[in-house]
Amino acid sequence: MSHVVGIDLGTTNSLVAYVRNGVPQVIRDQSGDALVPSVVSIGEEGTVFVGREAQRRLITAPDRSVYSIKRFMGRGVEDVLSEASMLPFRVGGEAGGVVRVGVGGREFTPPEISAFVLKELKHRAEEFFREQGEFDFEVDRAVITVPAYFNDAQRTATRDAGRIAGLEVLRIINEPTAAALAYGLDKKNRGTIAVYDLGGGTFDISILKVEDGVFQVLSTNGDTHLGGDDIDHLLMRLVLDEIAHVARATAETVQTIRKAVIQAKLDLSEHDSTEIIVEPSADLPNGHRRRMTRAEFESLIAPLVERTLGPVRQALADAGLEPGDIDEAVLVGGSTRLPLVRRKVAELFGKTPHTELNPDEVVALGAALQADILISGRREMLLLDVTPLSLGIETMGGVTSKIIVRNSTIPASGREMFTTGVDNQTAVDVHVLQGERELATDCRSLAQFKLRGIPPMPAGLPRIEVRFQIDANGILSVAARELRTGIEQTIEVKPSYGLTDGEVERMLIESFEHAEADFEARLLIEERNEAESVIHATEKSLRHPDFEQVAQADLKPGEVERIRAALAQLKQAMPSTDREAIHARTHELNHATQHLAEVMMNRSVREALAGKNVTDV
Amino acid sequence: MTDPIPVRPVAALECRTCGAGAPVDEHFCPQCSRILALGRHGDYFSFLGLPRKLTIAAHDLERRFRELSRQFHPDYFYNAAPTERLASLERSSYLNDAYRTLRNPVSRIEHLLAIEGLPAAKSEEGTAKVPPALLEEVFALNEELDEIRELRESGGEPAALGARLDAARRPIDRKREEHERQLQELAARWDVQEQAPASEKRATLEALRERLLERNYINNLLATIDREVASLQVQ
Repeated sequence: MSHVVGIDLGTTNSLVAYVRNGVPQVIRDQSGDALVPSVVSIGEEGTVFVGREAQRRLITAPDRSVYSIKRFMGRGVEDVLSEASMLPFRVGGEAGGVVRVGVGGREFTPPEISAFVLKELKHRAEEFFREQGEFDFEVDRAVITVPAYFNDAQRTATRDAGRIAGLEVLRIINEPTAAALAYGLDKKNRGTIAVYDLGGGTFDISILKVEDGVFQVLSTNGDTHLGGDDIDHLLMRLVLDEIAHVARATAETVQTIRKAVIQAKLDLSEHDSTEIIVEPSADLPNGHRRRMTRAEFESLIAPLVERTLGPVRQALADAGLEPGDIDEAVLVGGSTRLPLVRRKVAELFGKTPHTELNPDEVVALGAALQADILISGRREMLLLDVTPLSLGIETMGGVTSKIIVRNSTIPASGREMFTTGVDNQTAVDVHVLQGERELATDCRSLAQFKLRGIPPMPAGLPRIEVRFQIDANGILSVAARELRTGIEQTIEVKPSYGLTDGEVERMLIESFEHAEADFEARLLIEERNEAESVIHATEKSLRHPDFEQVAQADLKPGEVERIRAALAQLKQAMPSTDREAIHARTHELNHATQHLAEVMMNRSVREALAGKNVTDV
Repeated sequence: MTDPIPVRPVAALECRTCGAGAPVDEHFCPQCSRILALGRHGDYFSFLGLPRKLTIAAHDLERRFRELSRQFHPDYFYNAAPTERLASLERSSYLNDAYRTLRNPVSRIEHLLAIEGLPAAKSEEGTAKVPPALLEEVFALNEELDEIRELRESGGEPAALGARLDAARRPIDRKREEHERQLQELAARWDVQEQAPASEKRATLEALRERLLERNYINNLLATIDREVASLQVQ
């Protein structure tokens, strides 16, 4: 039986988790690291790097690397241009259409970039199951989390990313709800929970009631453009202003500064003051250093933290609750490590929030639990989530008419009657919107479609019932019927900021075509890692204080020269992408140093026996 | 929004799995125990197994909602046949609608009126014409508001105008409280009228509808006063 996993597809980092014997666990790499940086970088030959390797390439090849793509999921060009200035990659696309990012001579939509990250997680999980000795280690189904406040287009884009990555997306669930599930608060408590989730790019607040194992979301609110990235941007602007007189803000400089301010931000959660250390680069030969106290940092970011409180109050009001009614508050997301955030949340609810589970991992754990519920049919727990935004249609005069109100438990359905305005009219245009505002232009446009095939009748006589269904993923589908004739209408939904099914199919096929190149890229990385460790070991021996003595006493004439030559050859081959050459030269160096290694080993054994400590060798 | 969704015009359901007939209030086939497709359903009350009464204990409604959610939710039909998955989706959507509607006392009354065959008391209707019972208050308020607006535009003292708005609000607030009381009385009357003659039940429903329309109108008046208060604060 192939495997199912839970995936937290984050703005900054992504994780994969699974359930064994009812217990959720995150899947780590060999070094124990669970986080895969949500960074994708395109190599010169079109190979795709994901995760740590891509993150390194942010400094060395910033114009070929993409990060924080989650902020662009399901959005239009006009939504994101303002923040694109801080990003090294090119952001484009048609006005009124989906965003496209240009990297390495290719254009990608955000779901395609996210699909690279998902494929990496899929691969990581498959490697893990293979190592566990599973015969069928394939991972083909997943529950993927999204911010609770994601709209229909953003959810659909996430589901599309899963499909492009070759995953059957069992369910899209909301991050705060997943976190509540992972905390298992149903076991200890019956009560009202507030989940405050401040991640890399998004903020969510969800208010839940837990009883009899049912996690019922009462209300949710948030800001899909508020998170750690915004804190980084504030600090980056500060540094950029300070160095404006000495350096141009090239992509490389901006990324070097970004790395420095992120480190300083992390330090300031632990210490009262730190130094922002920008490493020297071509445009900034002397680098840049600057002290920052926690007080200075907190006064800088206070307005951002304050912005989270508006949605919190709205969610409480929508649930009909006061802050004092909350029994438990839970913190989720890396940005909740900030002491200022913890203080503000504790202050608001008048109690210390839960932080026992790693805020980076808790969402993936919840997603894995939900995946397990779906495939096992176990019924101890049930998530009842809500739709975060009202769904409506545009009516006469550009006014929004609400069909499903926000915070309705999903799945939810609604219907609306339409008729014709002129005699023998056979088609009606429908514009579907999401949002709380009165005017259609202030709401999010989800889709436009034409109701066709209406039987010719006098104006106003046809009665067309349009049914809207929001499923348990929070994703909308539409069906229509003319009630007088019973004829089902054909609906062509043109998503405003999404991909058509045809486009997703094409991307899926393309990803198979690139799969070979991507596989090559992985092999290349593994080969380089192997080569690096051989180079490192050889250089260590050559630098050893006893080396000259050993060479004189134990090595054959010309052997040292052969080692040095092989080392130089391999180092020369390293930057190339010729995997075979790196492999051959690694093998040669290994071979050339074999005798030396034996000699050094024997020597250390002799010395150990002579009472000399091995670590001294 | 509050009307039950008409799906198929049949009084009884037919199980799409085994073909057995089932009463309209059943959720699962009595013969093969598969989830039933949602037919033309009676109403939200009977769907939740509640009598058609306006007094509902909140904890009882919540418990029924949770129990039925545990029976219908699409999470538990992920591996089921497509017809069952669709049935689960439809039943869950209907349940969620029923719960949301009955939880709120006003939408509960609106739903009762709809299933008892009275025309909907939509909020837009409330603004069309002044309900006779409110004529006096509306007349006085409009006069006062006109005067306050004029004074505001000619630079009147905001504090004094605010006090006048407060005073103008008081009779409307009183009227609203009176209406809430009347709605509660009528709801209680409906709940004991099960055996009463049709004409008496009809009279209660008509009165409920009348009160709802007036209530909408009163809420609109209060909103108007709030807007006026807001424009004073802007100045």
